[in-house]
Amino acid sequence: MRLIKRTYLTTFTLLIPVLLIGSIFSFYMIKYIVYEETDEHLTYEMERLVEFHSNYGDLPEYHKVTEIIEGLRFDEPVFKDTLILELRDNEMIPHRELYFSINHEGKDFTIVLRQLLPGNDDIFEGALLMMLGLLLLITLFLFIMVNLISRKLWNPFYKTLGILSKYKITEPVPVFSKSKIDEFNSLNSTIDELLKKITYDFKRTKEFNENASHELQTHLAIIRLNTEKLLNNFQDDGNSLVHLQTIINAAAKLSVAQKSLLLLSKIGNLEYNKNTNLSLSEIVNNSLPLFQEAIEIRSIKVKKAIENCNLNIDAGLAEIMVNNLLKNAVMHNTQDGYIFIILSQKHLMIENSGIVFQDNPKALFERFATGKTGNLGLGLAVVKQICDVYNYKISYTVDGNVHKIQVFFTNR
Amino acid sequence: MKVLIVEDNLTLLDSISSSLIGEKFLCETSADFDTAHEKIFLYEYDIVIVDINLPGGSGLEIIRELKKNNSKTGVIVVSARDSLDNKVEGLELGADDYITKPFEMVELIARIKALMRRRNFAGNSNISYGDITIITDSREVFVKNEKIELTKSEYNILLFFFSNPQRVITKESIAEHIWGDNMDLADSFDFIYSHIKNLRKKITAHHTPDPIKAVYGIGYKLDIPLK
Repeated sequence: MRLIKRTYLTTFTLLIPVLLIGSIFSFYMIKYIVYEETDEHLTYEMERLVEFHSNYGDLPEYHKVTEIIEGLRFDEPVFKDTLILELRDNEMIPHRELYFSINHEGKDFTIVLRQLLPGNDDIFEGALLMMLGLLLLITLFLFIMVNLISRKLWNPFYKTLGILSKYKITEPVPVFSKSKIDEFNSLNSTIDELLKKITYDFKRTKEFNENASHELQTHLAIIRLNTEKLLNNFQDDGNSLVHLQTIINAAAKLSVAQKSLLLLSKIGNLEYNKNTNLSLSEIVNNSLPLFQEAIEIRSIKVKKAIENCNLNIDAGLAEIMVNNLLKNAVMHNTQDGYIFIILSQKHLMIENSGIVFQDNPKALFERFATGKTGNLGLGLAVVKQICDVYNYKISYTVDGNVHKIQVFFTNR
Repeated sequence: MKVLIVEDNLTLLDSISSSLIGEKFLCETSADFDTAHEKIFLYEYDIVIVDINLPGGSGLEIIRELKKNNSKTGVIVVSARDSLDNKVEGLELGADDYITKPFEMVELIARIKALMRRRNFAGNSNISYGDITIITDSREVFVKNEKIELTKSEYNILLFFFSNPQRVITKESIAEHIWGDNMDLADSFDFIYSHIKNLRKKITAHHTPDPIKAVYGIGYKLDIPLK
């Protein structure tokens, strides 16, 4: 939910109790005032009647007396509430009555004055209408205020957000503009510091990778070249050859691991980012012949259903991904096995026969998942890394001796 | 055959040059940009092996100079794996081949000899050892003047052996030479074994002694007894 929408919602939700409490308060307030006024009015009328009677011994011509009860006496004037049925509306209407007594020619008379009161529902309606009107005004005011505030006050925040969402790690750290608000300045400077640190670390990692691999490569080359020389000098010395073999094998494995690890970290660092729209179908068709010999030697049957598939991906990475997947399917196959490749615009599936696999297939995506043959097992880790970069979903399932890898190109 | 090796690591430089001297090449060495630059100005080389990362400048600049002055010189770029762009740029500048560290000497020698054949320095593209002749132009192999049919990998393996006669070639070297990065080492050994088995069968079918000797599980060696 957007910040401004959230602000509106919160503000107006808070206004609901104000409306409720306000209505109740107004209701009692109005009621109190009506009683006060009615009682005052009745008392005034009573005083007028009593004064007129004491002067002239009769009631004035114009009066509001409702009833005169003979022989009843109240020492003090008494107010009473009563409900009287209104015949026309067939409704009970509240009235206020004032009982007071006068002495006329030695006899006691009680005079009743009556005044119509507004009903509770009328008062409530009035109170509610009042509050609604007020609320409408407040709402209008708040709406304008919130709009103004969020546009003006939150402007630096939206600016920062815009800069951040466009930021890429390979680019220089962007400059944030100064704001008059301390909090936003502190936010900007914190982000700035974080970005500088991230960029620095990224550069350091990249440099470390490059330096480490360059040093490793040069010295590995020295080891391999000199071992080769020794090998030729000691060709007939079986004992030395065993040791030399160990060195050669370790150096070769180290070269492979070093290459793969470097590749992994470069993919992770998004150093391959020349995305182009290319045909994965073509890459699959071109990659398959690389493994033709291995396929023939093992008499593997290849079935394929390749439809057109265009992806926006770095050409090198697409090739590495397809090669590694096919390599995996060929190398971990069995004699007289099969490979089934399906490629569509939405996904790539490679199914192959293999050995029965007991462990969790997910572990195969981990770096250095060692197989039976002692592979370094970085091939699938590289594929996983590529899928992660492009938000492709990858799954590896094993059902008995059937291995199935699926890649879903979901980012389209 | 005059070769100039440009490499900043002195130990590696020494290893390469002593191996090439063993192959009867005339070797000169240079460990930095300036001396390399000077040497290509003063002398003519048949082949220059140049590392891209050099103190004082880029190996790419050396290639550029070479191609400007003398287009006959063959260039092999040696570099670290992390510069894929360098590879493309190097080849675009006119380098003939590209090899990444760490490489094996047999691989470098095979590349140099392939380059020599392509440039036709010696005036022939045929290589013969004993009864076997490889005609590299047409990729044909003759045993006792009879043509034998080899698969692509079998041919490549045989040519690799012929580029390095009498040298022990490890299984790792063969695997890297034939498949590059497209196969994991351990997996490829089985395939190498079956390729060599087929190769031997096709050659010995012509009553020729087996030219490929196994070396204690490490690898193989082309060893044809000279008559």
